[in-house]
Amino acid sequence: MFKSFIKKSRTKSPWLLHFDCGSCNGCDIEVLACLTPMYDIERFGIINVGNPMHADIMLVTGTVNHRNKKVLANLYEQMPHPKVVVAIGACGLSGGVFRDAYNVVGGVDKVIPVDVYVYGCPAKPEAIIDGVVMALGRFEEKAKALRTGT
Amino acid sequence: MNDYVLVAAGVLAGPVIGGLVSGADRIITARVQARVGPPLFQPFYDVAKLLGKEAVVVNVWQAFCAYAYLAASVMAVVLFFLRSDLLLIFFTQAVGALFLVGGALTSTSPYSQIGAHRELLQILSYEPLLVFVIVGIYLETHSFKIADILKWPEPLLLKLPFLFVVLGYALTIKLRKSPFDLSTCHHAHQELVKGLLTDYSGPFLALVEIAHWFDVVFLLCLCALFWATSWAGMAILLIVTYLLEIVIDNVTARLTWRWMLGYVWAMGLALSLVNLIWLYAAR
Amino acid sequence: MGKELLSTILILLPFVSAILIYLIRLSALRSLIVLVTGGVLIACSLLLIPYAPFTWSPHALLGIPLHGIVQVADFALLLIILYFGYKHRNLIIQVLSVLQIITMVYLEFFMVKGPISTDISYCDNLSLMMVLVASIVGSLICFQAIPYMKAHEHHLHLEKSKQHQFFFVMILFLGAMNGVVLANDMTFFYFFFELTTLCSFLLIAHDATEIATKNAVRALWMNSLGGAAFAIAIVFIYYDLGHLDMQQVIRTGPVAGLYVFPVALLVFSAFTKSAQFPFQSWLLGAMVAPTPVSALLHSSTMVKVGVYFALRLAPAIQLNFLSQTVAVFGAFSFLAAAALAVGQSNGKKVLAYSTISNLGLIFACAGINTPEAITAGMLLIMFHAVVKALLFLCVGAIEQNIASRDIEDMRGLYAHMPLTALITVMGVIMMIMPPFGVLLSKWMAIEAAARNIYAIIMIGLGGAITVMYWARWAGSLMSDPYAGRQFLLKFAREKQAALTWFVLLGLCVGAGVMSVAVPWLYSFLVVPALGGAYVPPFTVRQGILESSFGSFPVVPLCIVAAFGFLISIWALKKAMRARTVAPYLSGIQTDDPGVFKGPMNQPVKAWARNYYLQTIFGEERLTTWVNLCAGVLLTLMVGGVL
Repeated sequence: MFKSFIKKSRTKSPWLLHFDCGSCNGCDIEVLACLTPMYDIERFGIINVGNPMHADIMLVTGTVNHRNKKVLANLYEQMPHPKVVVAIGACGLSGGVFRDAYNVVGGVDKVIPVDVYVYGCPAKPEAIIDGVVMALGRFEEKAKALRTGT
Repeated sequence: MNDYVLVAAGVLAGPVIGGLVSGADRIITARVQARVGPPLFQPFYDVAKLLGKEAVVVNVWQAFCAYAYLAASVMAVVLFFLRSDLLLIFFTQAVGALFLVGGALTSTSPYSQIGAHRELLQILSYEPLLVFVIVGIYLETHSFKIADILKWPEPLLLKLPFLFVVLGYALTIKLRKSPFDLSTCHHAHQELVKGLLTDYSGPFLALVEIAHWFDVVFLLCLCALFWATSWAGMAILLIVTYLLEIVIDNVTARLTWRWMLGYVWAMGLALSLVNLIWLYAAR
Repeated sequence: MGKELLSTILILLPFVSAILIYLIRLSALRSLIVLVTGGVLIACSLLLIPYAPFTWSPHALLGIPLHGIVQVADFALLLIILYFGYKHRNLIIQVLSVLQIITMVYLEFFMVKGPISTDISYCDNLSLMMVLVASIVGSLICFQAIPYMKAHEHHLHLEKSKQHQFFFVMILFLGAMNGVVLANDMTFFYFFFELTTLCSFLLIAHDATEIATKNAVRALWMNSLGGAAFAIAIVFIYYDLGHLDMQQVIRTGPVAGLYVFPVALLVFSAFTKSAQFPFQSWLLGAMVAPTPVSALLHSSTMVKVGVYFALRLAPAIQLNFLSQTVAVFGAFSFLAAAALAVGQSNGKKVLAYSTISNLGLIFACAGINTPEAITAGMLLIMFHAVVKALLFLCVGAIEQNIASRDIEDMRGLYAHMPLTALITVMGVIMMIMPPFGVLLSKWMAIEAAARNIYAIIMIGLGGAITVMYWARWAGSLMSDPYAGRQFLLKFAREKQAALTWFVLLGLCVGAGVMSVAVPWLYSFLVVPALGGAYVPPFTVRQGILESSFGSFPVVPLCIVAAFGFLISIWALKKAMRARTVAPYLSGIQTDDPGVFKGPMNQPVKAWARNYYLQTIFGEERLTTWVNLCAGVLLTLMVGGVL
């Protein structure tokens, strides 16, 4: 019974870590807009914690470049399980318009496993919220994988 | 009443009352900020989620410290419900605060270290004030024992108004509200990542949060002593005080530890001195 | 074994052993003598317990009249001090010792006519407590000094060992301590009092470096100031009352007029002995001595003579202006020393200031002079002695290992000295947390001081400051990521002498056991010591100390604390199987936990330092003001009784 309460709580209290991996800040501004009274994601229990050790969801914006890919991997590793990653914006999918630049790795999934992609350049706040909610649905299988050790 | 019932009530009061107060706090804060705010039971969801996370540590002694903090805070509330000695309860609760700091100091991350030292400075700021409040209560009721204090015929607020304000300073610091939320804070806006709590995570963070609820319950009980003669009066006092805390939190910005130490000690000492002299002269 | 034999052994055996140690230069034999002497002292002090209270008047030692021996020894002692004053060209010592010689000559040859005291020795439970502390804690410290001094001399590359000198004075000092607390005749008390001064001087100067000699000379003149005050005081007392029997002097009680003035002088001498402000610099300077000296003389025993004396005199100054000023002065000392400790990063200086702080609190208890306060003072003497000795010995062991006594160098000590670090943390916990004895005494002191507005403000502030400087030290000792792996295996890797482990663990466990046993310590040791002058403030019921306005459930809290401790240890064991991550460094950490990738991809070590707040609490900043205030308070005290 307590376990089912924990299961329910995972979707009701997702804490975010927002990491900018070389973004133009367009998507970042949209993410922060979600925190404002206009969209107020705290209604869903979402808090933007700045600390990977407290976070469940990692929102990654920007193309990943060769300098910050290690940082991204580091932060992902520091997050306790179960965790999900949401890549936001066209840059996060594939590198966006910066795809061919010499320092761009091009896409978050080249460094860490991504669960949800939110497209857009920049992605709208409504789309970001949609993406986060979709990511919440992935928690259950992540938790099961943690328990069974897969 | 039977002692065991009181102990059980004390152990349950922390999560139930503390959690609900914390939830109400977030809703009211959100409304004041023109937002909607989370559901009332959000703190319980937060704690449950944290308990279900993988245990990750920086230093294994953090686990020890988190449990010790929880044990001490629970003990303080239980002792309060058993109507024991108020000064002893204060020292018991201080044990927990020190273990929290100790756990943060075991990590070498500068965020943890600075957060821990700021927490020590906060402790330095509010501990004398709590001692003065308790001494003031003693001078009025002639006893440190809560059993005797509860029997006092008139509300303590009448004779100890300034000491209640002093208690308000301690409450603001303990509740981690602006302008004293230097070491860590309940919402994301923190210049030291999460300060003191940076390297606590998962189940240990959950325990720290539950222990914090017990601390809140202890402080609210201490405030309640100031109008212990009627339930209605107690409720009004607690609600007004807590609402005032929320307003102060939203109206002020975080300031430096130097200002905190200087201001809290100066105002706290001055107000305590005046009230204590009144009590002393009245004997 | 009669009480006379036990008392004789407690005072004289150390003298004999000291002489043997000085003459026999074989280290193994010397260690044996130290161990045997210590063991006998411990046994005798425990065997003395059922006899207290008692009085005893030996008239002769080996056929020679005792008064004569003490007179001659006294003058010899003063001449030795004068010689050292001359040797180190210190005018103050010379003046003070000449003054004392003249005073004692005047007293002994021109004033005294007939017997000066009914009982030479009086042992009530307060004396008994001091005997137990000096003999047990003192002997344990001497035991630990054996491996310590061996390593110490090895580090200094000394060709000729000076250990015979060292142990001669250390063991002699134990006898002097027992003599002080068992003495009832004030000339005897004075003799042993000055003997402890001399021992302190010799031990501080032991290493014979320039700074050691300078600090030893400072200690000598400040303590001689106390001795001179004492000598003048007993002249006045003999003039007033015609005898020098301490118990009768106290029982005569507060009589207005000239009588209170000598008592004020006696209290002043207690202040100098206990290194209260403005005389604290001798204790801080004494920290250059080898650590067993700091543990024995300058925290557990010698400085306790001052507070013991104050508690002894407390019934005589009840309801007096003197009592009030002592309370305020003690509370001020408590606050000021705590504040000064915050600004210190030198470990031994922190311990020294903490000692001065706690002694100030005991003086405040003596000054507040209610039954709760006196109880608090007595309990604090016992508990503080044990825990502070433990902490000093830990710092000594740490210092020998890392060649530094700075707290910043002890950061993360848990990584290479796990057991010592844990014992030190345990010591700190026993200093500042309930249900342990030191906090219990502080709780009692605050409850007792609540009616005195000056005292309570200062004690409240001081208490909070105390917590701060201890917590940051304990925390930084454990400040090591990835610590705790291979729990017990790590402990086995730390190497210390067997005697060191025995003493450290013994003191640690002893303090814990004493804390649980407080209700029984109170009933059997403290209540009889309160005597007729004070009504016992607490009733003991099921291990709970209950008074009319406060209660402290000692045994229930200890049980809960033990339970909580076991749960936390279980949590610790579980956490050892948890995943470890590096401390948070914004994601740019390297594989080395404390290092991050800085500019140009170069590794940078992340470091943090404790807050020492030196702009507010720094020694240079505060000392002048504190000394000024202390001077004002002292003038108030002594002048007020004239």
